[in-house]
Amino acid sequence: MAAVTAVGARDAVAAAGWREAVEATAGILVGLGAATAGYPRACVRVVEEHGPYIVLAKGLALVHARPEDGGLGVGVAAARLAAPVEFGHPDNDPVDLLLGFCTPEPDAHVATLSALARALSAGLDARLRAAGDEAALTALLREVVADA
Amino acid sequence: MALDRRLEVLAVCGVGMGTSLMLKMTAEDALRSLGVDARVENTDLSTARGMTPDVVIGQGMHTGELADLAPVVITVSDFLDTEGLAAQLRDRLGAQGWLR
Repeated sequence: MAAVTAVGARDAVAAAGWREAVEATAGILVGLGAATAGYPRACVRVVEEHGPYIVLAKGLALVHARPEDGGLGVGVAAARLAAPVEFGHPDNDPVDLLLGFCTPEPDAHVATLSALARALSAGLDARLRAAGDEAALTALLREVVADA
Repeated sequence: MALDRRLEVLAVCGVGMGTSLMLKMTAEDALRSLGVDARVENTDLSTARGMTPDVVIGQGMHTGELADLAPVVITVSDFLDTEGLAAQLRDRLGAQGWLR
């Protein structure tokens, strides 16, 4: 599982609002070849249809859509924003850190995402916020994925 | 009187495979800390409507639509806060007489 998970990160992402932030995060997955060009728009639509529930903790969003929306492989991405954005979440705004993932089929991502959940419970979000640069962000994600 | 079978818990989100999977893991940790024998599944909002769990957990924007789905409906904002969820579960499950 670890070998097939693509990992990427961007730092100081300029986003004028939540849509741009979501598209930039999913765009990392497109750049990795893990998702199709249509995947970022699909991730925006998920929030438009179901609300900003992807903001799952204070300041943190989990960007994703369905496998059939353009997942080519299992991929994980992190984007740190230059300035936080508002999603309209009642408790967790503003958002400065976004994690993204994609998966080619409904169950292929479970091990990777479970490892990500464990790492977040153990303070991964704080470590990502404190990371020095893009390479450090990517290295932190790689560590997590290696545990999957 | 404690429940004489495994507690059925449903973690709900919009798509049913990412955010709710994170919530499922937090819920499993919280229920374990309470010593509750539970099976936690995660699913999307529309699939959830056809299910009959004992407990539903999700964000307020979703649980509002699922208020009648289960005897216990719990709203959480922080899907990573195991202790906060455990505290809510302790209160609500206790009130139903489901804790030993």
